[in-house]
Amino acid sequence: MPKNWKSFSIFGGTIALLALLPLFTNRSDVLTWSCLTLQYILLSQSWNIIGGYAGQVNLGHAAFFGLGALTTRYLWLAGLPFPVSLLSGAFIATVFALLIGIPAFRLRGIYFVIGTLVLAEILKVVIDTRFPVASALSTETLLTYSLIPRYYLSLMGAVLSVIAVYFISRSRLGLGMMATREDEDAAKTSGVSILQNKLIAFAISTFLAGLAGGIFAFYMVAIQPGYVFSPIWTFDSVVIVFVGGIGTLIGPIIGSVFFVLLKQWLSLHLPGGSHLAVFGVLFILVVLYMPDGFIEAIRRFGKMMTLGRKPAVQGR
Amino acid sequence: MMLEMESLSKSFGGLMAINHLDLDVYEGEILGLIGPNGSGKTTLFNLISGLFKPDSGKIKLNGIDITHLSSHKICQMGIARTFQLTKPFAQMTTLENVMVGKAFGRTPTWSMREAKEEAEKILEFIGLSEKGMWRASALGVVDRKKLETARALATKPKLLLLDEMMAGLTPTEVEEAMVLVKKIRDSGITLIVVEHVMEAILGISDRVVAINAGEKIAEGAPQDVVREKKVIEAYLGEEA
Repeated sequence: MPKNWKSFSIFGGTIALLALLPLFTNRSDVLTWSCLTLQYILLSQSWNIIGGYAGQVNLGHAAFFGLGALTTRYLWLAGLPFPVSLLSGAFIATVFALLIGIPAFRLRGIYFVIGTLVLAEILKVVIDTRFPVASALSTETLLTYSLIPRYYLSLMGAVLSVIAVYFISRSRLGLGMMATREDEDAAKTSGVSILQNKLIAFAISTFLAGLAGGIFAFYMVAIQPGYVFSPIWTFDSVVIVFVGGIGTLIGPIIGSVFFVLLKQWLSLHLPGGSHLAVFGVLFILVVLYMPDGFIEAIRRFGKMMTLGRKPAVQGR
Repeated sequence: MMLEMESLSKSFGGLMAINHLDLDVYEGEILGLIGPNGSGKTTLFNLISGLFKPDSGKIKLNGIDITHLSSHKICQMGIARTFQLTKPFAQMTTLENVMVGKAFGRTPTWSMREAKEEAEKILEFIGLSEKGMWRASALGVVDRKKLETARALATKPKLLLLDEMMAGLTPTEVEEAMVLVKKIRDSGITLIVVEHVMEAILGISDRVVAINAGEKIAEGAPQDVVREKKVIEAYLGEEA
């Protein structure tokens, strides 16, 4: 299939270029933005799996990011090898997801949305109370701190999430998730186990979210435990996924690049924090006028360019 | 006996939607289910397919009690259905809709290629091939009804419940649908067909059961059932 070959070479080429980036530049601002973008790709793809593919609007995503971050951070600083700490963080996030998933998926629609939001907020309050002190790296770690390993780890995380979503979108698992999203009654009577599909989607999604948290914990010099549980991690992901294109492979990538660039630009030109208002308005505009996100706008533009050469596929 | 229902009851609040209903379905037949609006036909389908649980009574498939199984298990055991108000997976393609049935139904597969090949065959059979790559949301009413049937067939059912697949079709389309239903039966699938188009019911059913207010009021050969006084009264009201 020539079309697939084209996509694979673009994907492979992009990764190769990104892998070479630290050789071309050691500007810390470029590396910092790249790290953030890659971490946002990982986090937003993880939300895309549960929210976009399985259609469960989980507004408690920050809880899993936070659990991954906190677990990784404390295990790592306690002296465990970093890879072990990172995987433990992702694992803890997944276990927590499965524990709350079984009762939470009994809720449908808006009740699930509110339920997950509330659970995450409760967890944030508990963490804020139990861990009031910020965690900073020790002096000797700080002396050897380099952005480059953080960059490569972020790149690996982002690539992993893109591969995961790629395989989900082309597998029986993804078929079941999408059917669940579109119509639960029709899915059930077609043989799809709704609960099983939601739980698998949730497990993969929260594992990746925990991984994103762990990478963030490795990247940050100092971390306030309450901060990694802040709802901004949830809402950043939601905005990125919707703006880029929900339930698509490329949407969250476009969304993340756009989000980080615009956020940096706004923070230079607007008073602190007001980028949130801009993203709020942008989110509303996209949901109202471009429900399929930027990716659809790009597709339509591409179609306009090639119009006349090949017939447009109807309904697509 | 393929499907047995014993003293099945379901009420919504004070309304008895299905009232101690006994009904048997024989292997290889087309059973026509008729009754005025609100008589409980769709509720019965919801009970058989497991979307509703009965208040009392039993449903058995080939002797196995399926009353308390969940919907997806019932489908995997060989009962598929269509919905009167069609429920396509709107944002997925027509082909993907049908693939879901194959991948998760009675003969499930993890192979997307196998699911795709089977789905293509079924779309061909049903006459939707050229719209396989359309998003289901772009399909018209008639095509959506076809899609319902295609998705149900893809689950490889032994028993298929068709809920008003002919409502809203033109006379030519009704005739095509009748041929299709008979073809499905000839492929070895037992059918229960709910239909308001009387000539269609008379034309395809081997046996007809009439229900009213959740109770069976007549059962037998199609021509006989429609002449029964109780049935005529149920549709037209009692004579003054």
